[in-house]
Amino acid sequence: MEYENPEIPEGINVSREHPLKEFAVLVGGTVALILAIVLILGWLAESIATRIPFSYEQEIAGDIGHDVSDNPAQAAIERELQSLAEGLAKHMQLPPEMRIRVHYVDDDTVNAFATLGGHVIMFRGLLEKMPNENALAMVLAHEIAHVRHRDPIVSLGRGVVVGLALAAITGVSGSNLSDSVFGSAGTLTALSFSRNQERAADTSAVAAVAAHYGHVNGATAVFDLFSRLEAEHPLKPPEFMASHPNSSGRRDGIAEQADLHDWPTEGILTPLPQVLQVSE
Amino acid sequence: MIDIIIFIILLVLGYGFGRLLETSHYRSILRREQAFRGILLIATRTPPPDLIPRKIQLVAGNVVISVDYFKRFLASLRNIFGGRVQSYESLLDRARREAILRMKAEARALGADMVFNIKLETASIYKGHKNTIGAVEVLAYGTACVPHNREA
Repeated sequence: MEYENPEIPEGINVSREHPLKEFAVLVGGTVALILAIVLILGWLAESIATRIPFSYEQEIAGDIGHDVSDNPAQAAIERELQSLAEGLAKHMQLPPEMRIRVHYVDDDTVNAFATLGGHVIMFRGLLEKMPNENALAMVLAHEIAHVRHRDPIVSLGRGVVVGLALAAITGVSGSNLSDSVFGSAGTLTALSFSRNQERAADTSAVAAVAAHYGHVNGATAVFDLFSRLEAEHPLKPPEFMASHPNSSGRRDGIAEQADLHDWPTEGILTPLPQVLQVSE
Repeated sequence: MIDIIIFIILLVLGYGFGRLLETSHYRSILRREQAFRGILLIATRTPPPDLIPRKIQLVAGNVVISVDYFKRFLASLRNIFGGRVQSYESLLDRARREAILRMKAEARALGADMVFNIKLETASIYKGHKNTIGAVEVLAYGTACVPHNREA
């Protein structure tokens, strides 16, 4: 009996496609898939989140700010900020159940932010850089506007839903490699309020400042201040920049608003009340 | 951020070394397959009745090959979309052929010119995090026939 082993041609059991091509197709597909999920679910979450009653949001927020400081100086600052915020809030058509509570944190962090349940946190680092009350009012009004627009709960909703969806995908893919990559992609998208949310908050804030003081002098100065801080510390910009990007663009947006509504850009600046003139 | 940088470095290293090793391995496989063409591989369980070998003996070849980081990442993406896991195809192809070559080398050392009843066994010997296959083992074994006119 004759036996032979004919030569088997190459490429039967192995695809000859270049691995980088496969890589490009797969990574491109995955990124597109994630973007689609983030956009669709994020949009759904946003539209649902604004329907959550504010009282629920307050419950989620829980105990924020209950640890009111015993320090009388700090409590005085908090009271002063609170009254300024309430003055501004009168011009912002807040729903009756929505109460703003301002908290002051004695810390170098150059930041202020709004979070769930109507809490606005102001850091000493930012307060001590405020040149006058008008600038401070612009910052506070901006954060109140976030609360008014329900941005914290929208952000939370988006973050939770998108995070869950990504966890589901990476769970299916069954690899810690993709976990780490998609995980960070997810946090990047849910990091802060969107640019549109920031812009909308600016618009409401400058309107409130205009109504409160009768002019918007000092409001744009806030962004000049931020741009300057950004330029001074290019390597370590203030935390406020990370969550509120693009100072110069927002400054122009505000100037545009003032122009549109004929708000005077000149006016007497109100100095900061004595109690708010803090320093380290 | 640092995670992503480490990940990209690992990916580039995996691709570079994986490619390099695979290319040189295939070159070696092709060269040795030519060299061992004289030894016939037959899958039937028994030798033909008219063949009366001087000696028959079990021969085996065993190999373990690890997958590189880049291939593993490609395969994990395949888990989402489905389709041919091309990055593992070459891994298994290399392992299979290398195992057969090692078996043939053993057969040649015995002076055999045929190996009957070839069997291949595959096992993933290391399951990495979340059952990602990290390395594959292929065992090839068969019955070598040493003819009368040949001396070991």
